[in-house]
Amino acid sequence: MVLFYSRNKHASVTDREDGSLLVKAQVEETCFAAQVEMIVSLPDLEITSVKAKVSRMMCEQCAEALPLVNKVAGLKVGPGIIKIINGLVGGSKGCPRLAELLLECCDQPILRFTVGPIAEVLAMPTEEEQMEGHREFLRRNPRLADNCVAFAEGSLIREGVEL
Amino acid sequence: MFHEKLTFARNKLVGVEYPRENLFIAHGVLDDDIYSMELDVEVEAPHFEIVRINGVMKRITTPECWKAIPKLQNAVGLSLADEDFTSKVNRRVGREGCRHFATLLLECCDTILRAATLREAETGGDLEDEELHRRQAEKMTLLHKDCLAYSTPK
Repeated sequence: MVLFYSRNKHASVTDREDGSLLVKAQVEETCFAAQVEMIVSLPDLEITSVKAKVSRMMCEQCAEALPLVNKVAGLKVGPGIIKIINGLVGGSKGCPRLAELLLECCDQPILRFTVGPIAEVLAMPTEEEQMEGHREFLRRNPRLADNCVAFAEGSLIREGVEL
Repeated sequence: MFHEKLTFARNKLVGVEYPRENLFIAHGVLDDDIYSMELDVEVEAPHFEIVRINGVMKRITTPECWKAIPKLQNAVGLSLADEDFTSKVNRRVGREGCRHFATLLLECCDTILRAATLREAETGGDLEDEELHRRQAEKMTLLHKDCLAYSTPK
């Protein structure tokens, strides 16, 4: 049997010399291909510029949604961004595919700044020290409590952590 | 030197098979600087219900993460056509299990919906473009995947 449909989505972050982040997301799939690129300023995580391109589409009307991505410039990555972007770019008057790519971009700065602290914890020499490292990570990021099974009530990481 | 290197990268890859009428099987991979995991998801049309799911975690961050694997079964029985499908997956698979598994599952399911749309287009070869577009629009609205293209008369 051969594959009926495929999707390949790639997102990345590059640190720019001026201190901002260049974030890219692109999707290449059987019936659609698009790229989104945005610059995110630090430390306020404001989207200062955004551009998008649809290279292949399901039908010709898809291209009409492209100018909507400009509405995202000026927004800050943070609480409520999903609803705002879906409202501005997705929905029945827009393109949910482009909205998804923009939201993919919005996830990347958060993940980029999670790599360092996680790497520090995992570099600790013993399991006990790593566990204490995870607890400290949770203390510094209390919003993670109950965010997933690892930080849920009853997990080893929650032991001794007062939030 | 290397001042242009990536400081984070995430790849998501989904392949969908269509082994028989009304059955879609997706294999998805999420791989980034922190996490690596895979899912196998089976969805049956016409109700687009998840009938089988299995996953593996290849790279995780805590010794507790593996507890998310059994929580994948919370997705069995969910229909991709449910209006609140995304929030159900985020809650039952993500919040109760692993957020990254939930992200990958949503990617797999969305790709299956695209595969179903393509299937519709291929089997509707004898229809006029207008009628085919109308049928696809009906299906995408049912699946809460409405967009400018499908809400615009062709």
